[in-house]
Amino acid sequence: MSWMNIELILLIALPAVIAVIMAFSSSFKHQTRNILAVTGAGIELYLVFSLLIFNFEAVKSSNFFLQFTIGYSNTPFVINFAMDNLSLLFSLIVTAAVFLIVIFSTQYIRDKENRYFALFFLVFASIQGTILTADLFTLYLFIEAITIFTTPLISFNKTEKTTRAAMQYLFYGITGGVFFFISIILIYFNLGTLKMAAVAESFVLISTPMQLTIIIFFLLALIIKLGIFPIHFWLPRAHSACPAPISALLSGVLLKVYLYIFMRLFWTMIAFDFLVELHLSTFVLDLALVSSLIGHVFALQADELKKMLAYSSIGHIGMILAVLMLNTEAAFYGGLLHITAHMMMKSGLFLSSGYLLRTTLSHHIDDLKGIGHKNRLVFIAFIIICLGTIGMPPLIGFVSKWFVLLAFLEARHYFGAFVVGAGSIIALIYYLRYISQAYETVKSESKTLREELISLKAFFKSTNIMKNVIYLFTLLIIFFGLGYKIFEMPINTAIFELLNPQKYIELVLGG
Amino acid sequence: MFNNFIFIILFMLGFYALVMKTNLIKNVIGLNIMEAAVFFWVISFSDIGGEVSIHKLGEEVTKFNDPVPQALTLTGIIIGASTAALLLTLIIELNKFSGTIDREKIEGLND
Repeated sequence: MSWMNIELILLIALPAVIAVIMAFSSSFKHQTRNILAVTGAGIELYLVFSLLIFNFEAVKSSNFFLQFTIGYSNTPFVINFAMDNLSLLFSLIVTAAVFLIVIFSTQYIRDKENRYFALFFLVFASIQGTILTADLFTLYLFIEAITIFTTPLISFNKTEKTTRAAMQYLFYGITGGVFFFISIILIYFNLGTLKMAAVAESFVLISTPMQLTIIIFFLLALIIKLGIFPIHFWLPRAHSACPAPISALLSGVLLKVYLYIFMRLFWTMIAFDFLVELHLSTFVLDLALVSSLIGHVFALQADELKKMLAYSSIGHIGMILAVLMLNTEAAFYGGLLHITAHMMMKSGLFLSSGYLLRTTLSHHIDDLKGIGHKNRLVFIAFIIICLGTIGMPPLIGFVSKWFVLLAFLEARHYFGAFVVGAGSIIALIYYLRYISQAYETVKSESKTLREELISLKAFFKSTNIMKNVIYLFTLLIIFFGLGYKIFEMPINTAIFELLNPQKYIELVLGG
Repeated sequence: MFNNFIFIILFMLGFYALVMKTNLIKNVIGLNIMEAAVFFWVISFSDIGGEVSIHKLGEEVTKFNDPVPQALTLTGIIIGASTAALLLTLIIELNKFSGTIDREKIEGLND
């Protein structure tokens, strides 16, 4: 066991340690706990950034690779953690988004914070583990950990609705986990190894019907976890029931982590040619496009703000999955850029909706009347992020959607291009519905609403941090929309990783 | 062949209980039967009638059962137990709010 590249373990262990401290922090002061949470997430961000900065030359020439091994090497009893350019990109954007969400939740969460932060950091540790792991068994463990730790967060405010949503989420998540487990077991019995790289080397040796079974079970598990069309009912309920920072975590970060697992499994481990050979890639492509369209159409009839945002997430995730299935360089560029863009936009939208909805009686569209007059600047930020999601020119949503559209046109897949365009137009309609409602003048203010506002007025004078996080997200969306070239280098190296899985396989097996 | 047969029957039984039954606790039982089916299957495959896979000092173990499936199964059992506990807790909470554990009668679960 060598101590080289201990940072990889630190990335997973640090949030776990903070979670343990948080679990026993009921006697801490409010301030101490917040400082601990923000510094923890900050150190994590610094670690990932330092990995990028210190290895900048290696990243630039796509040679970047770190590995950490626990256990006896050259036996099956070994746990591998590896980081290549693809994992670095995902680790970077996920950590940055989680850092901002932590800052937001220090002000947003007002009771049972110790429990909240303990679960939150456990989810964060599992996310890092999922991104860094290099063998299937640990991957299964971390995926299940994510599902189990997010469930109490969904039912954090104990009402009938949240309990229902959390229960349904857990039922679907665990069923997906069982399918994943079957697939892993089949791989182990056929090849006698669980290392992703070793599986990748000898996946050809398995008989074709067995390959088909393995791939179908993996696809089933990931389709359930991603909320693709036939099994998407749990997603809007779960994502709209929880507190706003958790909605941002689930919709903005976690869905992308599942997309990362999808890429890891179907490009690095199982070569994509197998999917094409077995005629599954076109099937998944069409399914994802239908899912995208259905998500956008369902968002039209959603009468709750957060439910609408969750349905819109289904639409975007379907689009990203579809464009990745094209398996061209342009498609990867569009897909990875849209993953980054959607992470920023959806986290920003959920956080600002959480801020706006604190003054209203319910999440229903009728109660949003006049909300734009009450919180002017925050609502303008909300509109800008909405425009980004629709795809307005100077913002990052436009750039990423443009590249996705170009990828579809280049592959001559016109249904895909149609779905991207139609999704934008439908999105314009459903966002306008809410925006126009928000600027409606309230004629007869009901007494309960006014009383509620007065009681909250003193509270909102001190809540600058939440507003600042929302403004920061808005500025990031504008800034990266103008300077999207920043992402060009990391995304291109990540694409190199997807197109040449041989490098990852050789380095993992050789080290 | 026999263990494949048992696996498919048990798995389908669990899946039936998970999907078709309206009682939520029966759904949890169905989920557990599904998991148990997978675990039985794994163990039945990995058992080749060898020795326990602990490396004894000074003794050469020639034929031993593969420990990796056993480790996988143990982890799976732990995950299954914790999810069952969490699900039952949520069902108890839901029962406090709505007074029933029937999936059909709880509003908003079937639309």
